[in-house]
Amino acid sequence: MLDFKLSQPGQDKPSAAQGGEQVIDLLIIGGGPAGLTAAIYAGRAALKAVLLVGSMAGGQIANTDRVENYPGFPEGISGAELAQRFQSQAEHFVTKLANDFVTEVDFSSSPFTVKTHLETYRGRAVIVATGAFPRRLGVPGEKEFFGRGVSTCATCDGFFYRDRRVVVVGGGDSAIDEGLFLTKFASEVVVVHRRDQLRATKSLQERAFANSKMQFVWDTVVEEILGGETVTGVRVRNVKTDETSTIETDGVFVYVGLVPGTKLFEGQLEMNEQGYIVTDAHQCTSVPGVFAAGDVQSPDFRQVVIAAGAGAKAVIEADRYLAEATGPHA
Amino acid sequence: MPLLSSEIVEQVKQELAELAGPIRMVVFTQTFECQYCEETRQLVEEIAELSEQVTAEIYNFVTDKEMVEELGVDKIPATAIIGAEDYGVRFYGIPAGYEFASLLHAIKLVAAGKPELSHETLDVLAGVAEPVHFQVFVTPTCPYCQHSVMLAHQLAVASPMVRADMVEATEFPHLSIKYQVMGVPRTVINEKTHIEGAAPEPVVVEKLQEALAKSEGA
Repeated sequence: MLDFKLSQPGQDKPSAAQGGEQVIDLLIIGGGPAGLTAAIYAGRAALKAVLLVGSMAGGQIANTDRVENYPGFPEGISGAELAQRFQSQAEHFVTKLANDFVTEVDFSSSPFTVKTHLETYRGRAVIVATGAFPRRLGVPGEKEFFGRGVSTCATCDGFFYRDRRVVVVGGGDSAIDEGLFLTKFASEVVVVHRRDQLRATKSLQERAFANSKMQFVWDTVVEEILGGETVTGVRVRNVKTDETSTIETDGVFVYVGLVPGTKLFEGQLEMNEQGYIVTDAHQCTSVPGVFAAGDVQSPDFRQVVIAAGAGAKAVIEADRYLAEATGPHA
Repeated sequence: MPLLSSEIVEQVKQELAELAGPIRMVVFTQTFECQYCEETRQLVEEIAELSEQVTAEIYNFVTDKEMVEELGVDKIPATAIIGAEDYGVRFYGIPAGYEFASLLHAIKLVAAGKPELSHETLDVLAGVAEPVHFQVFVTPTCPYCQHSVMLAHQLAVASPMVRADMVEATEFPHLSIKYQVMGVPRTVINEKTHIEGAAPEPVVVEKLQEALAKSEGA
């Protein structure tokens, strides 16, 4: 079945705010649910806003097979389509939506500076919505075999594992959801999980246990990814017995949680031990005028609806900050 | 049955409303042993209907040898996007799924003839004196891949020495095997240099330089 998607990051709208040295009201960094929602609210608040999307609008949801818990879609919706709908709505409102990668920020004085590989932007307020990214296992072989058997995107790469055996590492929603997706191609999907039960939601667990292609290896961690030209197996260790063994496989899909996308902000914004940006209940960071929203500041919930809500809060708060800092915008 | 839904048709019309110049979409096809030849041809014809500036040209891969040679096409379905000049922008396999956005991007890019690349990148490209061939392997279900395809096409438009192909991996399994594609996007530059994943512009340019250094050493 062929389909044709028009979701395209970085559709620049011609406007007065084409970056350069011009100071704009609000810079939004990140194009996931938090950033896209922030763009919608910024437009509605008549703020001149630039949304720096990065490589892909939608963030993590663009890469999610199905979203069944976002209100308004009683039948569920594909993550890609939901991302596209968020983006279309944001495009109605935001002054500029750019596909640039941010390379450097300076939050030491206002207006704040955000450099991308193409331009330098200056904004009187900033919302950081850079989200979170798949955590790597950090074991030997993982980096070497990335793209040659190691993957973090089942929807992208599932095709290459037709009638082959694959290993999925992890036990959360992503691991089980993507594992189920892989059963469309693979002959066997072996879930390797460090605990003795899954963390994924019950409905996913039920589907996983009912699927004859899914197998489970409990209390086990991956210690090395093995192979020659491509992956041939994983060396695993049972955390209870300390026994090691090898599982033969052609592919390893890693879904062991996320790490925040906060490297750019090190030394400029207060972060917790895990690297998440610390905010108060109003999305304010340690720097007045800089706000944060979504998975980048909130590892506890990781829901589209919560990221979107945080994006809205951040703009409402930013609008107040701008009004106080400069008087009501005429 | 049209391939494009009425909703998509309206969006495409808007996207192509202000094309900077005329575009030829040149499709190479044959009637048998080609998974998506028919659909690719239909897709291109449907798009050409939506803009006065866009024309579809259909050639037979077997019998239209002159054209095949002129555009350097070596597999089908192939779609060349040609504007005021041929910048070497190609799609091998059907640009469906997320790659449909890459196709529209290519049409607008080639029509304008003006890539959006950093000064650093343009400086490097200005110094490129030998041919560079980008092959970006994709699957239609990969949301990251379009970024790599669009970037490669920008480089092709920016430099007369660079040509860039999207290659739909599932339609060309022998190439997936030859280039060891087990994950996408995978970009192959001049046969021997690889990029895994959707790398940002500076990284891709660095790899381009690496590919050129390799060929000098050879």
